[in-house]
Amino acid sequence: MTKGEVPNVVGLEVLKKNGVNVEKLKELITKGVGAEFTTYYYYTILRMHCTGLEGEGIKEIVEDARIEDRNHFEAMVPRLYELGGNLPKDIRKFADQAGCPDAYLPDNWEDINSILKVLLEAEQCAIRSWGEVCDMTAGKDHRTYDIAQKIMQEEIEHEAWFIELISKRPSGHFRRKFVGQSPHTGSQGGLIHL
Amino acid sequence: MKYSKTDRYPVCKSSELVDDTMMKVSIDMVDILVGRRNGKLFACDNSCPHKGASLSKGCFNGDRVVCYMHGYEYNVFTGKLENMKSWKKEDTWVEQDMEWRKSGDLILYSVSEEDGTVYVALK
Repeated sequence: MTKGEVPNVVGLEVLKKNGVNVEKLKELITKGVGAEFTTYYYYTILRMHCTGLEGEGIKEIVEDARIEDRNHFEAMVPRLYELGGNLPKDIRKFADQAGCPDAYLPDNWEDINSILKVLLEAEQCAIRSWGEVCDMTAGKDHRTYDIAQKIMQEEIEHEAWFIELISKRPSGHFRRKFVGQSPHTGSQGGLIHL
Repeated sequence: MKYSKTDRYPVCKSSELVDDTMMKVSIDMVDILVGRRNGKLFACDNSCPHKGASLSKGCFNGDRVVCYMHGYEYNVFTGKLENMKSWKKEDTWVEQDMEWRKSGDLILYSVSEEDGTVYVALK
């Protein structure tokens, strides 16, 4: 076998036999991890602007979501490469192809509700994005599905946090054991913020 | 089975595709959105040209299919993007960069109906 030549990849062969459109799957994953990475960046800015009595009250929960979104990037990127995909070489292209909008700081950021609405929008887009990957892989690509559904679980928890903060509906959530715990995706080995 | 782009393939019964409905079907691992709007059949790639979401999860607005992911609207008969919805939910939100917003048009497929069966060709 010559250098650079890839042998038959059984992990891909079984996906194709199961009817998975691997090219389309790689495209969706790249968009999904793009959204996680850009969200991590923009959440950093949003968190910095959680100030004052109300802002400080939600800063830690924003930090949990921020770190867990980065964990989602870490959890899924290795799978992208296993599937034969890769991250774009240019981060500008990576950001432009992301599946979700940039979570820009709103002009009226002093109103903490305005930041919460942007956070909620970002989480809801992520749920739709990973839902696409789950739908495509359920019962066909067990490994990708396993990672994507774990990410989905945490995104749904993030959505619940921000809905509860905005609407004050009753909440089953208390707090993570440590910042960015990622109770679901943590087992993927992507935790880098302990 | 290997599919030819020039051949047409049965995808559903005509009775399954009543007016103002759409459904996802697959030919050779290509997901296709086939539907009937105002009595007229259409078929297009099920993947949204913007960010790849499943258009079958969307809804109609006139002759347009509305993507559930970002609200973009495409004419199901011409394939053209006709409404590039803004991300801004409030005046104080900053609009997205045009590189992120831009989208191609729908990929349309040939669709026909014969003897109670709907056919699609991948050309």
